[in-house]
Amino acid sequence: MKERAYQVCTNCVMDTTDSKIIFDEKGVCDHCNDYYKNILPNWHSDQRGRDELEKIVKKIKKEGQGKDFDCIMGMSGGIDSSYLTYWAKELGLRPLVFHVDAGWNSQQAVNNIEVLVDKLGLDLYTEVIDWEEMKDLQLAFFKAGVPHIDTPQDHAFFATMYKFAHKHNIKYILTGANYSTECIRNPIEWMYYQSDLTQLKDIHRKFGKKPLKNFPMTSILKHKVYLRYIKGIRVVTPLNYVPYNKEEAMQLLVDKFGWQRYPQKHFESRFTKFYEGYWLPKKFGYDTRKVQYSSLILTNQMTRENAVKNLASPAYNEETIAQDFEYISTKLGISTKELQSYFDAPNKSYRDYKTQESVYKVGARIMRALGLVRGGKR
Amino acid sequence: MIAIVNYGSGNIQAIGNIFKRSNIDFFVAEAPEQLEQATKLILPGVGAFDKTMQQLIDSGLKEKLDDLVLHRKVPVLGICVGMQILGKDSEEGQLNGLGWIDGHVKKIDVSKFTHKPHVPHMGWNSVKPLHQHPLMEGIDLNQGFYFLHTYFFSCNKKENILCTTEYGNEFASGVYSNNVYGMQFHPEKSHSNGIQLLENFAKL
Amino acid sequence: MLRPRIIPCLLVHKKGLVKTINFKNPKYVGDPINAVKIFNEKEVDELIVLDMDATVDGREPDFTMIKNLAAECRMPLCYGGGVKSVDHAKKIINLGAEKVAISSAAIENPSLVAAIAEAVGKQSVIAVLDVKKKGLFGKYEVFIHNGTKATGKDPREFAIELERQGVGEIVINSIDQDGVMKGFDLKLTELIREAVNVPITTLGGAGSLADLKHIIDKFGIIGVAAGSLFVFKGIYKAVLINYPKREEINTMLK
Repeated sequence: MKERAYQVCTNCVMDTTDSKIIFDEKGVCDHCNDYYKNILPNWHSDQRGRDELEKIVKKIKKEGQGKDFDCIMGMSGGIDSSYLTYWAKELGLRPLVFHVDAGWNSQQAVNNIEVLVDKLGLDLYTEVIDWEEMKDLQLAFFKAGVPHIDTPQDHAFFATMYKFAHKHNIKYILTGANYSTECIRNPIEWMYYQSDLTQLKDIHRKFGKKPLKNFPMTSILKHKVYLRYIKGIRVVTPLNYVPYNKEEAMQLLVDKFGWQRYPQKHFESRFTKFYEGYWLPKKFGYDTRKVQYSSLILTNQMTRENAVKNLASPAYNEETIAQDFEYISTKLGISTKELQSYFDAPNKSYRDYKTQESVYKVGARIMRALGLVRGGKR
Repeated sequence: MIAIVNYGSGNIQAIGNIFKRSNIDFFVAEAPEQLEQATKLILPGVGAFDKTMQQLIDSGLKEKLDDLVLHRKVPVLGICVGMQILGKDSEEGQLNGLGWIDGHVKKIDVSKFTHKPHVPHMGWNSVKPLHQHPLMEGIDLNQGFYFLHTYFFSCNKKENILCTTEYGNEFASGVYSNNVYGMQFHPEKSHSNGIQLLENFAKL
Repeated sequence: MLRPRIIPCLLVHKKGLVKTINFKNPKYVGDPINAVKIFNEKEVDELIVLDMDATVDGREPDFTMIKNLAAECRMPLCYGGGVKSVDHAKKIINLGAEKVAISSAAIENPSLVAAIAEAVGKQSVIAVLDVKKKGLFGKYEVFIHNGTKATGKDPREFAIELERQGVGEIVINSIDQDGVMKGFDLKLTELIREAVNVPITTLGGAGSLADLKHIIDKFGIIGVAAGSLFVFKGIYKAVLINYPKREEINTMLK
């Protein structure tokens, strides 16, 4: 196959490390064009958005009357879920705040969950994932050689969330998903669908050693179709209806609650920090900062110049990477040599294992046609 | 390179971990010949005075250390019992200490204690430097360090006291004389203050 | 001035952290290494880690786990569980722990305390007394093997004996208050405090920072240890590692 010549978008910083990227005659990529055409015109974070949000909130409150909670919210301690928690309280909702502990929490994450829950007077539930099973599953993903080794954490989060909403008969799930910092999504090639149960099971079957007895699992059909359309559980993304400037949001949380900042997005998990900061860019050449910065460029929170400047230095801290590598190895119960061997092994992709990709393709087409979703992974 | 002297006593792992994470080069030395390349020395220590001195003598390290410290003026930091052996002797044992700092090690006097517990002196206590010193830079003095000992160093000369701590009486928690330094507390187990102190020593 | 020590106490069961109530019904709390790492980053005064299975299962301490945990601690670490010999103690200290805790071994072989003290130093030998009220009059008795085996020993007398043997610190663990989160057993704490001059630490029952303050106000220099308080949050006992901030502790100590 012919190697594609390197090209970077003239508008954002997405480039040909996303092998499916398409540039128009001005050198602007399809991520940007999709945003301008499909997302921006329909995204209202001014009074229109606020009015729309109030309508939804009113409905949530009404349906939640007489219940302990009117909605459920996942809380990682990161900026999005933290800001969402603040907003949920501002809107007068009564959320069940829910945290999934996959064994990799950073001190900041734990602090941030604590200060928000305490100062906003909210109740917290946590689901602690069986570490021995999680460890084995994560190792299986390393051994599989695929880029999406953070699937176990992500999958566990979603599965537990839906399981919980279902169990407590809560109809509304609030998530911190937002266009402001995520209007461009990670290409599927970099991060394949974490909810694809077929893929997870196949990789586990081939490389896992422990049966998954306690590990929470879900499937795309289950949560996007069954739970959504048959059980009527809806996902609401409040941060898309209010102004969301990431830096201002962080400062507000710092000032009001004693929230602690992270060096980069997703660093509330030590594993995700290692994964996005080191493993993904160094082994595969996929730097998720490009996705994050591009989103911020499109929403006028970062200049392209600054993005390019930041991307010139590595995504990981060169002084501490050896220690991080060692910690990851120790926690996974392997030697640094073994972890290095997975690093050096040939790169595989999700296509090397079984998938339900066809279901996603069909589903995405239907959802877009029905106007139910804009943008999204590709 | 800093040499952490391994004479069978003290939390060498913890000290090493701190240097590793602060990107400070170090090595662990067991035999006298290994100390040739040392530009600084750490004498860790947990346990009894006599046992520690005996280990130093038996291993042949004592002679080498005397040479490095007294003649070649290599900076050395003694921790806990590693600080106590810097003195002339101890009430705890029979053997002589290294005698690098003029003082004697005595048992903490609890006779006038009106409170419990008595000994060991165990926990976080503050330190008060007698004057400014680069070793104490950036230290939160009130937060202090973790102490765990029953005997203390009594200096004959006030000028050898680097900092004091109060436990019943005020005693020297840090001592020094030229290139020799000693801390009664455990910097390797005192979070950021400890890390700061070890980094300061590395920079001296 | 010397400050009272506020100490998280973690229980290990089948390689994972758990919390019990009255030493029963272990609830899974997560991975020990990450929990210890978080406590270290929160700069806790010191940490106790107890393996509740080792003695009952008849096996040695988990040396690999001890090494991994010690590597994450920039504060003193006390390890207990399955320690039966001087060799065990020496090995644990060499792996980076500051203190070694013995419980059933001290009952079965009292001179072990003196032997370990000789080898690693008095200040590094901790005795953990698991105590339960028994009988009509609620008399305190020391139990071993996870609170399942009565020893017939009175904790006060045993504490005095341990001090004689050269123990460095005594941890009094109230089985009746364990995990209940309604306050420490003050009477038991008082009993031991009055009997010995060595440092003591009280464990079992802490439900709030006010409970810690209560002990500190009453006893001054003492170790206050807690499991549930530093690992759970809120009425649903959500697992969330927490520890009071420096300012909160300073306020508590006034």
